[in-house]
Amino acid sequence: MLVKRKQGEAARGRLASMAAGIATKAIDRRSFLRNSGLAVGGLAALGTLNAGMTRQAEAGPADHSRPIELRKNICTHCSVGCTVIGEVQDGVWVGQEPAWDSPINRGTHCAKGASVRELVHGDRRLKYPMKKVGGQWQRISWDQAIDEIGDKMLEIRERSGADSAYLLGSAKFSNEGAYLFRKFAAFWGTNNVDHQARICHSTTVAGVANTWGYGAQTNSYNDIRNSKTVIFMGSNAAEAHPVSMQHILSGKEQQRANVIVFDPRFTRTAAHATDYVRFRSGTDIPVIWGLMWHIFENGWEDTEYLSQRVWGMDQVREEVAKWTPDEVERVTGVPGEQLRRVAEKFATERPSTFIWCMGGTQHTVGTANVRAYCNLLLATGNVGAMGTGANIFRGHCNVQGATDFGLDIGNLPCYYGLAEGAWRHWSRVWDVPYDYFVGRFDAVPAKGGRDARSPEQNMNVPGIPSTRWFDATMIDAEEVDQRDNIKAMIVFGHGGNTVPRMADAREGMNALDLLVVADPHPTTFAALHERADNTYLLPISTQFECAGSRTASNRSVQWGEKIVDPIFESDNDYAVIYRLSRKLGFADEMFKNYEMVEGKFSEEPTPESILREINRGGWSTGYTGQSPERLKAHMANQDKFDLVTLRAPADVEDVGGDYYGLPWPCWGTAEFRHPGTHILYNPNIPVKDGGGAFRPRFGLERDGETLLAEGSWPPESEIQDGYPEFTMAVLKRLGWDEDLTPQERRVIEEIGGFDEERIDAVSWSIDLSGGIQRVAIEHGCVPFGNGKARAVAWNLPDPIPVHREPIYSPRPDLVADYPTREDGRQFRMPNIGHSIQQSVVDRGLHETFPIVLTSGRLVEYEGGGEETRSNKWLAELKQDMFVEINPRDAEARGITDGGWVWVNGPEGNRARVKALVTERVASGAAFMPFHFAGWFQGEDQRGNYPQGTDPIVLGESVNVVTTYGYDPVTGMHEGKVTLCQIESA
Amino acid sequence: MARMKFLCDADRCIECQACVTACKNEHEVPWGINRRRVVTINDGLPGERSVSMACMHCDDAPCAAVCPVDCFYTTADAVVLHSKDTCIGCGYCFYACPFGAPQYPRVGNFGTRGKMDKCTYCSGGPEADMTQAEYVKYGSNRLAEGKLPLCAEMCSTKSLLAGDGDIIADIYRERVVTRGYGSGAWGWRTAYGETISV
Amino acid sequence: MVHKLLKSAATLFAVVALFAFAAPPLAAQQVNPTESSVQEEQLMRALQSGEAVSGRITIPDARAGDLIKPDNKNWAATHGGTVKTVNVVAILGMLVLLVGFYMYRGKIRIESGPSGRTIQRFNAVERFAHWLLAATFIILALTGLNLLIGRAVILPIIGESAFGTLSAWGKIAHNYLAWPFMAALVIVFVAWVLHNIPNKTDIEWIKQGGGLFKKGVHPPAKKFNAGQKVIFWSVIIGGAALSFTGVMLLFPELAGTSAQWQLYQVIHAIVAGIMTAIIIAHIYIGSVGMEGAFDAMGSGQVDENWAKEHHALWVEEKQAREGSAAIKPAGGASPQPAE
Repeated sequence: MLVKRKQGEAARGRLASMAAGIATKAIDRRSFLRNSGLAVGGLAALGTLNAGMTRQAEAGPADHSRPIELRKNICTHCSVGCTVIGEVQDGVWVGQEPAWDSPINRGTHCAKGASVRELVHGDRRLKYPMKKVGGQWQRISWDQAIDEIGDKMLEIRERSGADSAYLLGSAKFSNEGAYLFRKFAAFWGTNNVDHQARICHSTTVAGVANTWGYGAQTNSYNDIRNSKTVIFMGSNAAEAHPVSMQHILSGKEQQRANVIVFDPRFTRTAAHATDYVRFRSGTDIPVIWGLMWHIFENGWEDTEYLSQRVWGMDQVREEVAKWTPDEVERVTGVPGEQLRRVAEKFATERPSTFIWCMGGTQHTVGTANVRAYCNLLLATGNVGAMGTGANIFRGHCNVQGATDFGLDIGNLPCYYGLAEGAWRHWSRVWDVPYDYFVGRFDAVPAKGGRDARSPEQNMNVPGIPSTRWFDATMIDAEEVDQRDNIKAMIVFGHGGNTVPRMADAREGMNALDLLVVADPHPTTFAALHERADNTYLLPISTQFECAGSRTASNRSVQWGEKIVDPIFESDNDYAVIYRLSRKLGFADEMFKNYEMVEGKFSEEPTPESILREINRGGWSTGYTGQSPERLKAHMANQDKFDLVTLRAPADVEDVGGDYYGLPWPCWGTAEFRHPGTHILYNPNIPVKDGGGAFRPRFGLERDGETLLAEGSWPPESEIQDGYPEFTMAVLKRLGWDEDLTPQERRVIEEIGGFDEERIDAVSWSIDLSGGIQRVAIEHGCVPFGNGKARAVAWNLPDPIPVHREPIYSPRPDLVADYPTREDGRQFRMPNIGHSIQQSVVDRGLHETFPIVLTSGRLVEYEGGGEETRSNKWLAELKQDMFVEINPRDAEARGITDGGWVWVNGPEGNRARVKALVTERVASGAAFMPFHFAGWFQGEDQRGNYPQGTDPIVLGESVNVVTTYGYDPVTGMHEGKVTLCQIESA
Repeated sequence: MARMKFLCDADRCIECQACVTACKNEHEVPWGINRRRVVTINDGLPGERSVSMACMHCDDAPCAAVCPVDCFYTTADAVVLHSKDTCIGCGYCFYACPFGAPQYPRVGNFGTRGKMDKCTYCSGGPEADMTQAEYVKYGSNRLAEGKLPLCAEMCSTKSLLAGDGDIIADIYRERVVTRGYGSGAWGWRTAYGETISV
Repeated sequence: MVHKLLKSAATLFAVVALFAFAAPPLAAQQVNPTESSVQEEQLMRALQSGEAVSGRITIPDARAGDLIKPDNKNWAATHGGTVKTVNVVAILGMLVLLVGFYMYRGKIRIESGPSGRTIQRFNAVERFAHWLLAATFIILALTGLNLLIGRAVILPIIGESAFGTLSAWGKIAHNYLAWPFMAALVIVFVAWVLHNIPNKTDIEWIKQGGGLFKKGVHPPAKKFNAGQKVIFWSVIIGGAALSFTGVMLLFPELAGTSAQWQLYQVIHAIVAGIMTAIIIAHIYIGSVGMEGAFDAMGSGQVDENWAKEHHALWVEEKQAREGSAAIKPAGGASPQPAE
């Protein structure tokens, strides 16, 4: 809505007024000086006092006469995917310009995006490889670093097996980097590979994929402009996804939409709500069941939708019936009348969308929370149409992409689950024999009463989640379900302060034989511990210093061009992964399909060639149509895409008819020109225009009822009912196999090993020709089938979400009624949440630690915060770690706003922070942001960072205080509920 | 001739601070100098609103009235600028300004002030347009390039509007009519003697 | 400490004022933040004098929390109005008065003519203090006045750049010379305070108009006559006021709120204007206005006749105390014959 002036008008305006002789007020300084004869000489000769001129230009656009080149990349912070335009002059990034053409951010940024140029000023960046020698940081060369790291890894592998090296990747990788890192883990021979999705939306992915097929945001930020009712639950988009609020607030205004915020904390998002509902942290399921109680009670559910597209809602109805308004209020604190009003709006003023973030996911019941949200959406018929949907706002710039590419303990790239078929699929894509991988994995001996595993079995056992890596370094080797404990951490772009129990993490770091941190900044992983040796820092460039694609939360894939070369001695992920692979001996196999070019210090693969390999294998998720050429065409034609539909008009060259960023699934080959899928599971438009249906991936029948859609199909579908996924056999039965080209048929036959039965089994997801997908879509059908969403996910621990009190619950009375799940083993590790919950009750910790502590984001910082706290433009805005405390609680404790306090955790850990006395939190609740590190229980650890690389702002980490608790489905930590006591320091 | 103004639509402002860092980035504004800032009123209460504030480039600017060395001038676009060559860092303008716009580096004796620095509406200062000299003292000159202040251009929710006063007032008025609420044109009555009536 | 209290009281008040508009507490069932949003007009209407519409800010500069402070414009208006007027009227008025007085009375002569014998009126310490005070005051006055009216008077003559340079040096001079000025003020106070305690003779002196308006009238006075006492106390009180407010202006943190700073600035500028007017009169009488007066601060030796005419009681006291030794022939060691 800005008023752009015509080019040069300002300058002309001023000159014109001077020429016209307009004097007095409007005169400018120079003409004034010219008119006054004494301007020079006389006293002026004494010279002006330059002291305090305020500013020195460091890298401004020095000379406007020399050319300035504009380069487009994507913001490296949250998942909204804002385009960043860098002005580059003589290889220096001299300025940022608004990217007006991007339909996602339309020129705008938040504090982080508007300051990304500072990342390549790099005052505080890690400047060269370093290692610790006798406790002191020492500069080393890249060659030495790679050599020594490789030797140690091989030695540890020899001693303890491949699984003893933990490969922690990053949501900051490009898609190509993430994919390469996952592939690296496969070649190394472990499933101990993970990234930040574990701690942000792993439970979302699990919950959503188990409901309707894929683990991703169903609609887009832009599409929320169509919503009439918007619920935020555990999402503070105003701080975590600020640019998304542009679409949401515009939509709110234009639609006069209801914006309802459920949050224990009155957030900056809540300030713009039309309804704010405060509830107790960790009681999402009762709140949702409470809403649905009113919906069912009043018949506000969408019965047609339920009968056509949903299975099992009647069972959910039974659970919901238990949650009467009184019981809901007892557990959550929310009055029934308020829930009734909100429920009515959500169910009747449609389309409605439900937005959640880590307030919902970071719980021991994270997956169940997500499943409850999904059920609310299903019951009201709010998935698969414009303005509806599960709008899951993901956290990091490429956490969606990194998840998609299987930087995950349980997947291969593109959600091919750990199974022989998946390994064989990727072996074909990678052009490496399946047996090669079998040879890389450990055999696991029988121990702890568990059976032994062959390498081939071990290949298909999910690894240890990133939330538990330190437990796996320290607990008895018998208890770890792999050959040995974790001995080495190879950490690429991942903070060490974003997981609870930091005191334990510190011990874990101390216990490692090898710690490698590859990051633009030395993270908490480099500073928290007391290690003396065998600790390496590798300077990695940011995504602004290399090219590659990244996938925004809405599944749009955007190509970023390199803005400047890697600064100092930093190098990009591709090159570093390549050099490590070479050292470890599998580079030739792993990189054989790529175009290699001469990089800064070594050869490196081009991101384009990596993406082409992804295109050759990413059928299951529709990552096949997004060729580098198409993505680059989208970036060049951003202005062609509609703000709301994200679609370009059909007649536009190169991108005509496409949705912006070819949001996956973008079926078939690039040549097939599928436009991508703006809205998932949308049966209102043909599949070739981005339509779809729920994915039947849980069988065809359950309890004698069909799991295929009934009476719902996308327009132009030649099968006018539900149907299963497409395989060669299905094509044959329909007689559509005749539509395959000879080349396609040949590829399918090859995959089937020229064996009739195996050829029939070749499905849309492993057909490397894309023929099956093409033919299905040409007949108006969805390649993965047309099924029902599952209200009941029978394979999950709680098939219907059940309220379970947090481990550290403030309500022992409710623990008795709603205990957490029994102790068990997941992901190679024991989960003793139940024992701990009992012990918390037995020790009466709710009395000595009466305040419920929750955590979350600030707009200025991101993730572990080392990068943003090193950015002087951001760091100035939040200079101290703090705890938000209610004025009544503060007064009772003699705490003043801005004063120092100790936040004491229930297990004896404590953090010294400043008090922020505010009504944002209710009495009995406190909030701390999770971006701080560098202080540990009152100790300033600034000296632990290599000199000159310490972030400007340091502070205590909230995760010093947070406690035990893990979701049984994904290993997600409990980051949102623990107990604490606060006292004046 | 355009009459340049700022308008912060507080019903859109989410305190994301993009305006603040965009400003820092564009002009390399040093630590401790805040040409623009965001203030949250009624923090944590249902009436909470955040407002981004910088120099409003007032009519009859009080800073100019009190400046002992008369270093302020108003451009043809009604932007209030000043000359750092003339400024003596007396601090009077800070106390005259209703918006807390003038900023001073701490230099010299007794913690006294260096030369005043403030929002230039991205239009530099008395030096020749788009020169190094201008950039060093005042920052970049976007207006001369036909662009508007970067804070408004980069505002995440398009809350902060910049441009001709009449045009941005129309935009704001239209928003209020569309959505049915508006908390006011913050600072307008103080800066321009009038507010935007809807 | 006082300022801190004031400051926190002010903040408290602002908070209370703002809370008055806060929407219902969150415990209420219907919480609609959009509807209950604060309104600028409402906040502005409710502002009390000196208050700001303010809120929370995360940068350390607490003053940045004030969003809109309309009263700052009042200070600007006062500065450009009352303060300027008082200064201009006081100084120009005094100059007009003195010119008038000079035309009416002319230079006040030693009526009996110089005796040629001198008497020690002020010792070196006193003179040093006086001149230190005088010199710094003059520079402070001029540089201060420059801040007020320089842009109208000097700038058009010498141009922007030169005026900027001049004023910048002027500011430095003003900031640094304030300290010797304050030191001198203390010395002067200590040296002369006992002589400046008002007493009965002052009444007579005042009754006779100090003899200023009539020839031949010489009301008796001790070391300082009532007129001089007025100057003394003006300098002490005015100087103290200027010193205190000046230090506050120099260290805004000490001053407290910006409203307090503004108040100090107004006091500083008005007192300075009045002081300047008084000092102009003092300079007049000590130089061109009265024969023999300058010597008191020049050499420290005044003519005996001058002393007898203007400070008869002081001369008597001095002679009684020290005998005739107090009186030295003018010109040095060897006594000169009387007239």
